[in-house]
Amino acid sequence: MTGAELKSPEDLLKERFGRVEKAIELGEPDRVPLIIFTCGDILRKYAKGYELYFNYDRAREVSVRFATEYPVDVFLAALAAEGFIFALAFSDYPDIAPSVRFWTGPMHDALGDKYTRWPGRELPEDSIFQFIGGQFMEAKEYCKLSDDPITFLNEVILPRSCLNLEKPNSEKANVALIRLGVEVSRYLKFLGDSAADLAKVGVPSLPLTFAYAPLDFIGDFLRYPTGALLDVRRHPDDVKRACEALVEPILKVALSLKPAGAKYAFIPLHLNEYLSPKLYNEFYWPTLKKIIVALYEQGIKSLVFFEGWHDPHLETILELPRGWGIAYFEKTDVRKAKKILGGHTCIMGGVPPSLLLEATPDKIKGYIKDILSEVKPGGGFILSPGVADIPMPVPPENLRALIDAVEEYGRY
Amino acid sequence: MSLADLIDAFVNLDENRVLGIVEKLLREGTDPSEILEACRKATTIIGERFERGEYFLSELVFASEIFNSVMRVVLPELKRETKPLGTIVLGTVQGDIHDIGKNIFKAFAEAAGFKVIDLGVDVPPERFVDAVRTHNPDIVGMSGLLTISYESMKKTVNALKEAGLRDRVRVIVGGGRMDEHVKRYVGADEWADNAMLGIRKCKEMLGLGG
Repeated sequence: MTGAELKSPEDLLKERFGRVEKAIELGEPDRVPLIIFTCGDILRKYAKGYELYFNYDRAREVSVRFATEYPVDVFLAALAAEGFIFALAFSDYPDIAPSVRFWTGPMHDALGDKYTRWPGRELPEDSIFQFIGGQFMEAKEYCKLSDDPITFLNEVILPRSCLNLEKPNSEKANVALIRLGVEVSRYLKFLGDSAADLAKVGVPSLPLTFAYAPLDFIGDFLRYPTGALLDVRRHPDDVKRACEALVEPILKVALSLKPAGAKYAFIPLHLNEYLSPKLYNEFYWPTLKKIIVALYEQGIKSLVFFEGWHDPHLETILELPRGWGIAYFEKTDVRKAKKILGGHTCIMGGVPPSLLLEATPDKIKGYIKDILSEVKPGGGFILSPGVADIPMPVPPENLRALIDAVEEYGRY
Repeated sequence: MSLADLIDAFVNLDENRVLGIVEKLLREGTDPSEILEACRKATTIIGERFERGEYFLSELVFASEIFNSVMRVVLPELKRETKPLGTIVLGTVQGDIHDIGKNIFKAFAEAAGFKVIDLGVDVPPERFVDAVRTHNPDIVGMSGLLTISYESMKKTVNALKEAGLRDRVRVIVGGGRMDEHVKRYVGADEWADNAMLGIRKCKEMLGLGG
């Protein structure tokens, strides 16, 4: 970026993070911030998918290489899969719960979980990890979940969903948990080292904690997404009660990282796009709203990834307190979102990954110029590729065009 | 209880009523192909409601569940096969294992009258090529959720070209993250980011109207 090479990493860190914070506070920074997320796809430019999730040293090396070649205001490499069920199962232990929130390749090996698939294991070596979920709870078991979620997850669901935990108290199960613990400490060290590597090149990370929408938890970890959707029709009262019962443990997980300095809770949504406004407002939104508001009252803002097309539910966001956090949109047009939510919610997104893949650098720049001319005024906007990843074959000149365009057209 | 009642119950997603009516109609000797035709009409109306924004994906998921349940009862009773609108070879491309979208598309495509050859998930290019050789379909439908699927879709189209089969089929890519850019990158003929749009485009590609 212009002038970046003249500044020290410390100054760059401060400048970039300040820019992002200002936008989150609904203000106008010196220019529109650019955030890039990846689950590994774009990093396959430098390493095989398999290496990204099984070799922490390689993962560190390629993350910092990407951030050096393509410097942005925040770079987030989530090289681990969704493991929120473990965080929730251990939510009464704040020293453990957040550490098992994500699973890396070796943790998958330790647990034999049936939720995730990995390159070099169930998938081709150069793929990326995938969360697939499954059905591990019967519809008739909703009451057990609602009565005592923690006991039910530990005693019934984990043995069903993790091959190596299928016989609780067995040698195999105990070894699996010890292996998990060993991997967790290696992973935490990797996270700390990676953040330090990025800081050395002047690219900040976000101090994140994590939460979940209760109905998504049911869909992802217990009933499979389509199963949860069918339950909404067949067992509506059971579903509502279970969602309510999950709020408290989810909040415990999210707040467990507050003492360590977490400022933002990342909440990726899944079933939002599937639901009609009527079902969304009855089954999904009330408990999600409760979580976002409770975190806000504790000084934690949420970074909610509204997967897919969130248009029918946009106005419900206005029910949250002004400045509650960041709404990260995928297919919802950020121009439309800004019109409805501007001055109330910080909006993030705006760049379809397919555009980066297929368009020319000039077209990309033109697109960003147009979109920024509409969403930049008034602040409270962060530019970002609209799916939390960038496809590996995106040409380098297109990534540079993205970075140059925000520099050229994003200034206030 | 008539076929009109069946359509009404199906369109309103009244699962128990649909299955009750189907059972009764079969017991009374109604031609199973008429029952299928009624379900076809119902899913067309559901599709229209979806495209008008009155129904959402959860309604499509529920409707495909109901359709699959009806098929389980009706298919064994079916004495003659009706001529399909066309044949679709369908699969989630190599490296991607997500199939919720593919399965919704499949149920609605079958309900619409297509014959669907479902190759499953993580389907390598050569399996698409083999399936095109074996089944001689009108359409190849490639599904994918993740950004890595774009590459596999492109490889699959290239494999069809190398095998000299690309001109014999129409190719559509489907999934929540498909758009005009992906279509061009992959070298497909059409794209769809939801099942109903996919079925409309499949019909259009075969000159069958929307």
